Amino acid sequence: MKTSLRLLPLFLAFCLCGCYRILPSKGGAQGSIRTEARPINPDDIALPAGYSAEAVATGLTFPTAVAFDEQGRLHVIEAGYSYGEVFLEPRLLRVEPGGSLTTVATGQKNGPWSGITFHNGNFYVAEGGVLEGGKVLRISPEGNITSLVENLPTMGDHHTNGPAVGPDGNLYFGLGTATNSGVVGQDNYNYGWLERHPNFHDIPCKDVILAGRNYTSEVPLPSKSGKQTTGAYVPYGTPTTEGQVIEGSLPCSGSVIRISPESGQMELVAWGFRNPFGLAFSPNGTLYVSDNGYDVRGSRPVWGNGDYLWQVQPGQWYGWPDYSGGLAFNGDRFDPPGEDAPQPLLAQHPNEPPQPAATLGVHSSSNGLDFSRSSAFGHQGQAFIAQFGDLAPDVGKVLAPVGYKVVRVDVANGTVKDFAANKGKKVAPASKQKSGGLERPISVKFSPDGQSLYIVDFGVLNVEGKEQVPQQNTGVIWKITKNSN
Amino acid sequence: MKRLIQYCTIFLLMLLLCYCGTARRGEPVFAPVPLADQEIARGEVVYMNYCHKCHPGGEAGLGPAINDKPLPGFMIKLQVRNGLGVMPAFKEEVIPDEELDDMVAYLKALRKAKEEE
Repeated sequence: MKTSLRLLPLFLAFCLCGCYRILPSKGGAQGSIRTEARPINPDDIALPAGYSAEAVATGLTFPTAVAFDEQGRLHVIEAGYSYGEVFLEPRLLRVEPGGSLTTVATGQKNGPWSGITFHNGNFYVAEGGVLEGGKVLRISPEGNITSLVENLPTMGDHHTNGPAVGPDGNLYFGLGTATNSGVVGQDNYNYGWLERHPNFHDIPCKDVILAGRNYTSEVPLPSKSGKQTTGAYVPYGTPTTEGQVIEGSLPCSGSVIRISPESGQMELVAWGFRNPFGLAFSPNGTLYVSDNGYDVRGSRPVWGNGDYLWQVQPGQWYGWPDYSGGLAFNGDRFDPPGEDAPQPLLAQHPNEPPQPAATLGVHSSSNGLDFSRSSAFGHQGQAFIAQFGDLAPDVGKVLAPVGYKVVRVDVANGTVKDFAANKGKKVAPASKQKSGGLERPISVKFSPDGQSLYIVDFGVLNVEGKEQVPQQNTGVIWKITKNSN
Repeated sequence: MKRLIQYCTIFLLMLLLCYCGTARRGEPVFAPVPLADQEIARGEVVYMNYCHKCHPGGEAGLGPAINDKPLPGFMIKLQVRNGLGVMPAFKEEVIPDEELDDMVAYLKALRKAKEEE
């Protein structure tokens, strides 16, 4: 008896070690989620002392970003596509005083329109391209749409993002990768695109030499039925060999590219990102990019990866698909519990990746960002990042909701603090809390005078098993201001 | 032997109590973590580099919340150095002793940052 009691502490330690695997996932879009109409109540949002929130537009369907024209009028884009395979026409809307909406332009069903900026009298929009490939569009104030570039390789998991205007007057935009970690498989079929584009795959920006690792999966594709062996940077069902060279080309996956608004000529800025969603220049003209980290899904699941904020150094490779946050896949840390660790896909790496400017929550989906430039708002020079929130359990398990808020980052030292998040015992989306606060912040933008922060709230997106279920007409634009003393 | 059972019972009760309160600390719900102390400020940077992604702001995320666990400093260091369950170990070559001391100072300050402004 005594001996067995002496083992009690060991038993407790064993239970604590092993309990992670048996704990259920508790993502913000799982469990009891409100499905009726979304109430709006700014008082449900916690802000630092001295700030207040108001809703300036409601009832939007999949809003992703805002911009201000030369008269300072607020405009918003509706994506026209959401995970969950909802296809609509994307729209550019002007938000009138009082919150009514005027349609400026309507695009084709090739969303998501994921970002917008205003420059020299025109709007520039990133068109995701799930059906026809990504585009960068110029939209005149009268609503005329012109493609500056087309056929960008973003028909997969991630899309064409941005754009942002640099100090050089060029447009910078991001191209997300086709896959989670380089290999086409079951998860891409579940997302819906593999059936539409069975030969689509990731494209490196420069020549890469493969280690020759292949993965087996099976999806009900008519053209490739049964078990298939698939390597990196190749179509589903295509094996690769050690030493095989995959030729790089432009445009390419996981990259930041710039073009002149006049010529549309593409130039590679940097690559090796996974989903460079948010692009913004700091007050001193340095480009920063938010990047969504790997998920625990597909043929090559990767566990325990944060999202990252990168300071972009031209010409550098940032690590995808063999590094996370500057750390190599070397057998440590990144193995999903009970599974093998991901092994490198590349025999040689283009360079040792830089270290991130900041590390953000695993599965937080840290997306659009902007820099504070005004002492009237405060936190000058800091990056504000919208965190869309987890898509657990599809992307991996979490023990509590992650994201669903706006954080601020001191890019000088990488420290991260919550800025706007729902009140309550835990941070969670309003639909889970049954409150009237934030749902899924997807981007942020400071007003031209820098005194207000606009938060674009995508609206409700539930996760039911492996299915993502977005709710139309639940998007909101919030305005945060600092109260005058 | 009785004492051993008492310790284990207390430990389990403390764990259960942890689930009753909130793990939220600092802004925007409470007053900010005081960063005037250089040790705490340095520790915040260490925490952000190695811990924040799984325990954002000390709350639960990929891993469990740590703000609401009343672990003494030496236990925190023991867990960081040796890992626990799926949490990896962070050896001295990754987080030097001085940085770990700073990080523990920050964690203790973070844990206390639950006063209304």
